[in-house]
Amino acid sequence: MGKSALIRPLLLLAAALIIALAIASTFGTTAVSWRDAWAGEPTARTVIFDLRLPRALLAALVGASLAAAGVTFQTLLRNPLADPFILGVSGGAACGAAVTTAFGWARIPGVVSLVAFLGACGATAAVFILARRREYTDPTRLLLSGLVLNALFSAIILIAFALSPAGDLTAALRWMMGTLFGATWSDVVLLLLFLIAAMIVLVFIAGDLRMLAFGEDDARSRGVDVERVKLIGFVASSIVTGAAVAVSGIIGFVGLLIPHLMRLIWRRDYRVLLPLSALGGAILLVLADLASRVALPAAELPVGAFTAILGVPFFLSLLRRSR
Amino acid sequence: MLDVRGVSYAYDDVAAVRDLSATFQRTQLVALTGPNGSGKSTLLKLLARVLAPDSGSIAFEDRKLAEWPPKEYARRVGYLPQDPDPTFPMRALEVVVSGRAPFLGRFEWEGESDYEEARRALALVDAADLTDRYLDEMSGGERKRVFLARVLAARPKLILLDEPLASLDVSHVQQFSTLLRDIVDRTEITVIYATHDLNWAAAYADRILVMQRGSLALDAAPPALMRPDVVRELFGFEAQVVGGWLVPARP
Repeated sequence: MGKSALIRPLLLLAAALIIALAIASTFGTTAVSWRDAWAGEPTARTVIFDLRLPRALLAALVGASLAAAGVTFQTLLRNPLADPFILGVSGGAACGAAVTTAFGWARIPGVVSLVAFLGACGATAAVFILARRREYTDPTRLLLSGLVLNALFSAIILIAFALSPAGDLTAALRWMMGTLFGATWSDVVLLLLFLIAAMIVLVFIAGDLRMLAFGEDDARSRGVDVERVKLIGFVASSIVTGAAVAVSGIIGFVGLLIPHLMRLIWRRDYRVLLPLSALGGAILLVLADLASRVALPAAELPVGAFTAILGVPFFLSLLRRSR
Repeated sequence: MLDVRGVSYAYDDVAAVRDLSATFQRTQLVALTGPNGSGKSTLLKLLARVLAPDSGSIAFEDRKLAEWPPKEYARRVGYLPQDPDPTFPMRALEVVVSGRAPFLGRFEWEGESDYEEARRALALVDAADLTDRYLDEMSGGERKRVFLARVLAARPKLILLDEPLASLDVSHVQQFSTLLRDIVDRTEITVIYATHDLNWAAAYADRILVMQRGSLALDAAPPALMRPDVVRELFGFEAQVVGGWLVPARP
């Protein structure tokens, strides 16, 4: 037990992730081979190095970000139904993206991502300020503030869509459904930096976070600075979620499902679940994105649908076998 | 060991503890009783450093609570909230070993010695057979013992328990009371526990505190409480003492 319990599942999942990445960059609708790409054949090089590889890596990073944020929110809010979007992060991001589209600015490269990221940060800050009272942030008030703000964002999104230029709507809808189409190396580097920063912060507070499992009073009596841990945890996971949403849109299920999946398999506390969830989320999204690309020869299907299609049966079979 | 002086605490505008003073020595089993809303839980939270007093001061081993580094204090004083319930399923041993957290550095994990302490604590509460069981498979009495073991795993000098006997059947109340008595006698620690059961408190505790509207209405050895006139004044009902036990007087 203890730290050594982490090593085996960690190696196992890391190996699975490498295999998933290899498969995802090998297969696709165009038949090209790694050997040709290495040999310098231009089409193969472009398809593998400029399209599939950054896309697969971005899928891994988005999956890892969402799952790490998901397990953190579930721990902080002591709520098994929490996911990275529960506090309005996705609503804020989508709202930003929709308004950008309505003004016809969506065609300027990078603007949707930037505004979405700002929307996510703004929403998180608003939820936090609304829920804070007497230097105390109540988890129930946080959830309610998130719920209410998400409702407001939905209203704004509907209005923005009604006013949007018709030609921009398809792209906006695709973004709302979540997509890794068009992933670039700069997206990969950007999100990698956010993810590394968030993981460092979360690992730093992991020991305190797991003590929240028995309630805030209990954690306080054991010397945990609960308010500080909550603030740091919420901010770190919200920002990495915002960054993931900015590059990929809103991809559901990963952040909710993966932490539960890891918990069902390994039954450990937050310190173990954080790295395992990040790896698990990466694997699931790489495979889901591959499936969404190759399921139909001519069209791309929403990756968010495949996270559920791939994840749910696996989850249910585990749930049935557990006590 | 613990010195409470003129402590007050209010939730927003509602006073919960008013100008309360008391001192506690080593090796005592102290029952804290009083009507619902009289401030028992708040007092325990103040002593556990979960809340900070609005005014007055609390000192543990001659050092004010605010001056204790939080983890140092947590190694010496254990607190068990009323209904601790982990969000996700956990085995008894994992629950108990998490009680060693105040001894671990930021990136340190429980080692073999911590698991040994956890097993010792489980044995101390007579729950060694529950070690690998999941909390949600246990009865209320078993869970209470596991959580007490979690507090004991840190080998504290002072233990604060918020209604540990609530929702236990009478045989478990007896077992748990004996267990507390036994732990105090064997390990020379002090236990302060909130309870509504005057008879069991009187039978096992060295000292009984009765709270009323945030203040101490009585602080004495058990016999002082077991009198019809005292019960009438503090709890507002007619009682008689039969064979050393308080029973309601029949009209």
